[in-house]
Amino acid sequence: MAKFLKDINLKGKVAIVTGATKGIGRSTAMAMHQVGASIIAIGRNINELASLKKKLKIRIQCIECDLNDYEKISREINKIKRIDILVNNAGTNLPEPFLKVKKSSLETLLDINTKAAFNMAKLCTDKMLKLKSRKKIGGSIIHTSSMFGLVAGPNRSVYSMTKFGIEGLTKGMAVDLAKFNIRVNSVCPTFVATPRAKKYLANKQFNKYALSNIPLGRIATESDVATAITYLSSDASSMITGSSIIIDGGWTAK
Amino acid sequence: MFKKIDLRNKTALITGAGKGLGKASAIALAEAGAKVIIISRTLSDLTKVEKLIKKTKGSCLKFECDVTNLDQFKDILKKIKRLDILVNNAGNNRPEHFTKVKKENMEYLVELNMKAAFNVAQMCSQKMVELKSRKKIGGSIINMSSQLGRVGAPIRSVYNMTKFGLEGLTRGMALELGKYNIRVNTVCPTFVETPMVKAFFKNKKFKQQVLESIPLGRVAQENDVSTAVAFLAANSSNSITGTSFMVDGGWTAK
Repeated sequence: MAKFLKDINLKGKVAIVTGATKGIGRSTAMAMHQVGASIIAIGRNINELASLKKKLKIRIQCIECDLNDYEKISREINKIKRIDILVNNAGTNLPEPFLKVKKSSLETLLDINTKAAFNMAKLCTDKMLKLKSRKKIGGSIIHTSSMFGLVAGPNRSVYSMTKFGIEGLTKGMAVDLAKFNIRVNSVCPTFVATPRAKKYLANKQFNKYALSNIPLGRIATESDVATAITYLSSDASSMITGSSIIIDGGWTAK
Repeated sequence: MFKKIDLRNKTALITGAGKGLGKASAIALAEAGAKVIIISRTLSDLTKVEKLIKKTKGSCLKFECDVTNLDQFKDILKKIKRLDILVNNAGNNRPEHFTKVKKENMEYLVELNMKAAFNVAQMCSQKMVELKSRKKIGGSIINMSSQLGRVGAPIRSVYNMTKFGLEGLTRGMALELGKYNIRVNTVCPTFVETPMVKAFFKNKKFKQQVLESIPLGRVAQENDVSTAVAFLAANSSNSITGTSFMVDGGWTAK
């Protein structure tokens, strides 16, 4: 009898995870490793990469690289033999009211959240297509977007601009890459208990704003997001492309 | 870190479980360890599904019931001790050009796809919140929607109306049931190889049009959808509520 519950299994797959030193990236690298993937972790902090390598022990390679350095990252991707999965996760946020957004903040966010994300997606797609059997075995690209890729929030005009952009890129890539059986999706979390969000949530007023907007009354955990990304990366989701898994406790349902 | 799809100790009720997506979902949930309660108008279909579930050593209870019969459904719930998961799946389609939609077809679809879906969801939610520990252990409701709950299509105006309606209901329910830790989501498949769709595909021209509209170039399999249902039913999707899980091969990304 056919199985109606497909396994979430990444044995034999090579997954590249950017922003892998902390937060969602790190948890995702661990979750995907847990279900069998070989991990290539990219991050800027060599000490944090070393600690991840120590933790996972096997099936992990680390690359220290700032994704804004296009020359370096292209060289590094070139050296890699094979990529089946990209978790395009590196990104940041510099919350400021629209009227006070500094030019430098705008440029930082566009550089990393938009341009570097696009370049990374392109470099990895090129590499994925090198494999002759790609169409048969498929591939998966997951962008870490945000609920702010779907709705706005205070002090997040630039962040929303970059994440709405990623939502658009996701759909465009999905349409163009479907013929190669490469699926492209995003995950859109609400506030997650990451080091970055914990800083925001330490502010009582902000904490109240966040929790009162989440119908489930709690923020998401890193493993909630890592699990969704792992599902999207595996053949268990082989008909899902060009879509967003919204992990927001109901924030955007309102 | 990675949350497995594990439904041991959970009881799930599935409507429209005799065939197609309902049947696939029932088997998938049983494979993940849930006790399943299967409901359909056709007892002989249920008997076959029950056999398949028992073969995988799953636990299964069956009830012959037309979900448009409120009293009959109520009686079934009285016989059930506990309910953690509802797959609100029963539904149908009668494709007709908008200008030619017969009154009785419109009424039949509204009756089944909307009114019965609402009533089943409401009665099951009432049952779910009876459990004192509900807030702690959570609950999950999956409304079976469609990609046509998100975009229009020829000769599907009534189906569109009912499925868009279900999308709205899902968001409303998610907001109100969040405080009980009951999550409510939809699955939105493209055309799936079910008995219903196989009948449509006898029309070769229609089949070709469908495949051209799906970037991945293939229709979904029943287990693509049932795996998504199981993911949403389990704690793997703990922070996901009020959303739609697109299983459409990129149809709506365009």
